[in-house]
Amino acid sequence: MKIQQKIPFLTTIFSRVNDLLNVIRNEFQTMFKDRGVVIMLVLAPLAYPVLYCSLYKNETLTDVPVAAVDCSRSKESRELLRHIDATQNIAIFSRYSTLAEAKQAYYEKKVHGVVFIPADFSKRLNSGEQTTVSIYADISSFMYYRIINQACNNCIMALNGQVQVERLNATGITGESATILSNPIPYEGIALYNEGAGFASFLMPAVLILILFQTLFLGIGMIAGTSRGENRFHVLVSSSLHRGGFFSVIIGKSTCYFLLYAAWSFFILMLIPRAFNLPHIGIPFDILMLLIPFLLASIFFSMTVSVFLPHRETGMVIFMFMSLILLFLSGVSWPQSNINGFWKAFAWIFPSTSGIQAYIKINTMGAGLRQIGFEYLSLWVQTAVYFVTTCWAYKWQINKSLKKSIEIDAY
Amino acid sequence: MPVGVVDLDNSSISRQFIRNLEVMQHSHIVMRLNSHKEAREEMQRGNIYAFVEIKRNFAKDAVSNRRPTITFYINDGYLIAGSLISKDITYLSMVTSVGMQQKVLRAKGVEESRIMGILQPVVLDTHLIGNPWANYGTYLLNVILPGVLQLMVLMMTVFPIGVEYKERTSRDWLSNANNSMFAALTGKLIPYTVIFTVLGIIGNLLLYNYMHYPLNSSIGWMFLATFLLVLSSQCIGILFIGITPVLRDGVTFAGLYGMLGVTFAGSTFPIEQMPVGTRIFSDFFPIHHYFNIYVNQALNGVGIHYSFISYIALLSFTAIPFIVFIRLKKAAINQNFPVK
Repeated sequence: MKIQQKIPFLTTIFSRVNDLLNVIRNEFQTMFKDRGVVIMLVLAPLAYPVLYCSLYKNETLTDVPVAAVDCSRSKESRELLRHIDATQNIAIFSRYSTLAEAKQAYYEKKVHGVVFIPADFSKRLNSGEQTTVSIYADISSFMYYRIINQACNNCIMALNGQVQVERLNATGITGESATILSNPIPYEGIALYNEGAGFASFLMPAVLILILFQTLFLGIGMIAGTSRGENRFHVLVSSSLHRGGFFSVIIGKSTCYFLLYAAWSFFILMLIPRAFNLPHIGIPFDILMLLIPFLLASIFFSMTVSVFLPHRETGMVIFMFMSLILLFLSGVSWPQSNINGFWKAFAWIFPSTSGIQAYIKINTMGAGLRQIGFEYLSLWVQTAVYFVTTCWAYKWQINKSLKKSIEIDAY
Repeated sequence: MPVGVVDLDNSSISRQFIRNLEVMQHSHIVMRLNSHKEAREEMQRGNIYAFVEIKRNFAKDAVSNRRPTITFYINDGYLIAGSLISKDITYLSMVTSVGMQQKVLRAKGVEESRIMGILQPVVLDTHLIGNPWANYGTYLLNVILPGVLQLMVLMMTVFPIGVEYKERTSRDWLSNANNSMFAALTGKLIPYTVIFTVLGIIGNLLLYNYMHYPLNSSIGWMFLATFLLVLSSQCIGILFIGITPVLRDGVTFAGLYGMLGVTFAGSTFPIEQMPVGTRIFSDFFPIHHYFNIYVNQALNGVGIHYSFISYIALLSFTAIPFIVFIRLKKAAINQNFPVK
């Protein structure tokens, strides 16, 4: 201690900065020398977004094959089927005379839905009665059901409007008053932020953030596991590096990850949405402001957990499947308001949840930082908390290694 | 699901409409807002998934036949929340219109028996095959559980085999099996086959017996599918560690492959609608065939002969390890691959 006090302040700073640069250089070297880490921290963040975006490129379903069972065989029923066939989303693939035959086609997966028009359809339509059209929709994927229901619904509403005016005319209500009465309170449904109800526009922003988080997490886990597995004392940080100070190790390492992931974030969050036509109405500055706490929280979270991983492969084996669970807990597919309290709290522990919510709000919905206050605060709180836990964990590890080396020296 | 209301009219008709919205299945009115801007900001905050805007003079216009519009803003950024609410709202606004029309027609002296025919000439009757309640849990858990299972099986196949190479114990391992790679692999993996099959079957019981999710054929077929999913995932695992008898690479590739599996299962976005080139890949994922069996057997309850092809596909994955047999054996004896 005495010696340290005599060193001039500037020299101390200089030596600290030197330590820091040393750590950063060292970390970059370990990262790029290790094939597994390169795959995880370089290849995966580059390839995964492109791959997923290409898979979901089609956004919505077009011409889903549907069977028609037309028992009415009338002018009206044929016209309705023509209208249904003409929609962008579904196409009449085949016509059958009984429901049983259509069922067969459905079982063979030739069609994903059935439109059934009853025998008395035209008769009832012409005699002023109410009639029913039934549709049977595949729900193995929600997309099928949505598309089939929506397309048929639109066609039938159009038909209803037409028939209504005719029937009103028949009761003596004619002209403008019939038109008004056929639709007295028009409603206007405006879909915001994802007008085409596209699947990629809905899911990909969440997946992009998750790719950042998971690759970072698994990559850091791999690096930590390796250095532990190969270290003399099975501890995280080799003594040649820390020289007794854990602070520069943490700052150095996290700076290194941060720099790398700042570049990836630019690619994944800014270029990919533009290249694949995903929503991107957010202000880049806001995304940048969000990225800082998100990356920091993710890095410190990963560094904390990585302390407990004894081998490099452990992290992958244990945490790979978490990606799936985190995606569903993030509140994108099933709304956050309907996830129960326990799972909500559990999801909150992971920076990815707030990151996903905040990114979607900014990028897809054009929110500003003011609107994402909660998530933004959460991320900073997580950054602070996980920074403290990282310090604590690293200190513990370094002390352990010091103790062991002292023991060995004494021996 | 939380919904907001911007009621600039505050008339009895608009209040009635809002009360009706409140009792709908998916919508829950959580806030009343004063302006469009406020509502939009709440939507961006994520506090509401949709809002209804009723303009000033709504009641006056409605009564005097000026056709006032009700406007709904639905956030389709959250696709599922958006579509559930949009279903509610479409239905409600139709009902409101019908109510108005009914009053007018009665006043005009139209016969009661003819009114319904005028109001709604054609009714659409929607049936959802296998999951009539459109239960999201059914949809989600039937993909998530096998998805997680196959991922764990992949990992826990690559890991125990790879560790033998990493720790340089592969010679002992092989000599224990009397130098037969087949015996060595089978012996090593059977415990995992048993454990994961049991776990998978517990998962099945949880879904179909405890949660009572739709199961329209014998649960035995799902057990068989689960067993085959475990088996085929193990075979893929052997392939990954066989290509690079290096533990670290094997684990990484198996993980990346396993994650893609969930996409290729085909529940999120139908495979047929993916770009043609990528469609072929789906056959190389065991979970895709498992999902087909689930749709056929559990959801649709069709005859088992429709699923034979999927069972056979799953079974054919067991031929895959033979590709890497010789390589694995040579690597085990020579130990000529890097540990790292």
